[in-house]
Amino acid sequence: MANKQAVGNMKGEHSLSFSKTSVPEHFLGFGLGLRTEHFQDVIDNKPAIDWFEVVSENFMVDGGKPKHYLHSIREHYPMVMHGVSLSIGSTDPINFDYLRKLKVLTNELQPEWISDHLCWTGAHEKNSHDLLPLPYNDEALTHVCQRIEQVQEFLGRPILLENVSSYLTYKNSEMTEWQFFNEVARRSGCEILLDINNIYVSARNHDFKPEDYLNGIAKEKVKQFHLAGHSDYGDYVIDTHDHPVADPVWQLYQKALQRFGWISTMIERDDNIPPLAELLAEVDTARAIAKKTLGSIT
Amino acid sequence: MSELSLHALQQQMMNYLTDDELTIAQQVEEHGGISRDARLHIYKNAYQMRLKETIDNDHELLGMYLGDDLFDQMVDGYIKAYPSNNTSLRNFADALPEFLAKHTPFSDYPLISELARFERLLMVAFDAADTERFTRELLIEIPHEQWPSLVFRFHPSLQISHFNFNTVETWQALKQEQAPQPATKTANTWLVWRNKQRLTQFRSISTIEFSLFDMMLKGNDFSSLCDYLLTQNLEEDVSQVALNYLLAWIDDGILANR
Repeated sequence: MANKQAVGNMKGEHSLSFSKTSVPEHFLGFGLGLRTEHFQDVIDNKPAIDWFEVVSENFMVDGGKPKHYLHSIREHYPMVMHGVSLSIGSTDPINFDYLRKLKVLTNELQPEWISDHLCWTGAHEKNSHDLLPLPYNDEALTHVCQRIEQVQEFLGRPILLENVSSYLTYKNSEMTEWQFFNEVARRSGCEILLDINNIYVSARNHDFKPEDYLNGIAKEKVKQFHLAGHSDYGDYVIDTHDHPVADPVWQLYQKALQRFGWISTMIERDDNIPPLAELLAEVDTARAIAKKTLGSIT
Repeated sequence: MSELSLHALQQQMMNYLTDDELTIAQQVEEHGGISRDARLHIYKNAYQMRLKETIDNDHELLGMYLGDDLFDQMVDGYIKAYPSNNTSLRNFADALPEFLAKHTPFSDYPLISELARFERLLMVAFDAADTERFTRELLIEIPHEQWPSLVFRFHPSLQISHFNFNTVETWQALKQEQAPQPATKTANTWLVWRNKQRLTQFRSISTIEFSLFDMMLKGNDFSSLCDYLLTQNLEEDVSQVALNYLLAWIDDGILANR
C-alpha cells in the first residue's frame, strides 16, 4: 500500500513531504471524493491530488467498468472508503450481508480507513436511503456503542463515523450532538470524521454556535475532515453537496484547523458535478487555508 | 413529554416517510424560525426525490416513452407499493417491471413492463461479475478429438430474455430520439451481455440459437449441440453451422473460459 512519502514521489510536481513531528502519522494530505464523471480524466491525467475517497456502496457490485476503473485509479492513489448504508443507529438487526460485502471491498482496495455516518438509515426492514438523526440520549448511546463494537470486531479494524446534517431535534434528546458524538467515540473506540459543512448546516438549523461544536469534540479522535457545499434557503440550510464550499464553511474550516491541526481534508461533491479542474481548485483552496493557518509543511 | 423508545421512534419516522403518518410530529421539538412540519417535510421531500431520481436514472428511456405525467404517476405508485428494503439504491427499482405488469393504467400496455425489464437487464449486464473469456486461441489449443465433449460456460453478464412485443426495437428508437413504431405483438428473444470492451451489448437470437443456449445451460456438450442441429433440416453443412455459432459466441465474448 502506498504510504505518504510514496504519494509525494509519484507526483513530481506536487511533492508532499513533511516532518513527522509536525503532522499526525495518519495525515494523508488533501483529497477529493472520486466520482464516475471524472474516472477517465483521473486515469489519463493523474492529477496532483494526495488521495481519493470512494463511496463504498457504488463499488459493492460483482464487476464491470466502474470497478475496473476503480482498481486502475487505486494503483496510483491512496484511498479511503466512505459508506452510507451501515445504519449504525438502527434498531433493526445489524446487516451482516452488507458488512460481508464491505469487508470484501476493503480487502480488494486496502483503504487507509473506512467510514460511515452517526445516524440511522432505515428500520423495520424499510430503507429511507437518507442519513436520519438519532435522539441524543442514553438509550441511543448504549445502543449505538454496542453496534459499533460489533461492526469493528467483524471488520477487524476501527471505523470512522461522521456527523450528519440535521433538520430536526427530538424531544427526548438529553444532550448536545457533540456531547453524544464524543461519548460514542470514547466508549466504542471509533474515530471521528468531522464534516465541517454539516456542522455549519446543523448550527444554522438548530441555532447553536458551530464553534461550540468544534470545541466540544475531543482533539485526539478526529482523523478526517469533509468540506462540501449546501443550499441556503434563509430560514434553513440544506446539505445538498451540489455547490462549491461556501465562505462561512471555509471560515469554520480555518477554526477547525486551529483546534485540530493537520487533518486529512477532502472536497465532497455529489450532485451538479463540475469538471475535475474546478474541484481540484477547491482542494487547492483548502490546502492554502491550511498553509496559512498552520504554516508550511516542510 | 413522552419518553418514546428508540425502536418506536424509528418506526414512527419510517411510517411518516413511507405512509404519511404524522404521529412522529409529537416527538419533534418546535423551535426557531421554521415549523416542525416544515422540518419533517425536508426529510419527506428528500426521501421522495432520492427514490424518484433513482428510477429516473435507471429508466431514462422508459421515462421518455411514458412522458412526464405518466412517469410521475408510476413513480408515486411504485414508491408506495414497493418501499425500499435494500441497502443499495441499485436494487430499489428491481420490482418495477412487476409493478407495471400488475397496476393500471400501465398493465393495459404490456410493452411498458417489458421496456422496464429490458432496461434492468442492461443494468445487470453492466455490473455483473468479471471472468476470463473463452478465446479462439484457447479453442485452437484443444485437440480436435476433444471438441465433441466440450461443455461451454457463459460469461456471468449474459442474460437471455423473451419478449412478447417489439420492445427492444422501441427502446432502440427512443435511444435514437426517434418516434417508436406502435406496439406490436411478436414473440422474440434477446441476449444482453457486457462485451470485451466492458460495454453493454444486445442482439436478437433465433429459436435455433435459443435452443442451443438452453442445451448449454443444461450442461450438454458440443456433440449434443451438433446432434440437435442435424434435426433442423439446415441447408448448410451442420459442422460448419456449429463452428460458425461457436466462433460468433467467442467473438461476442459471451463464453467464459472453461
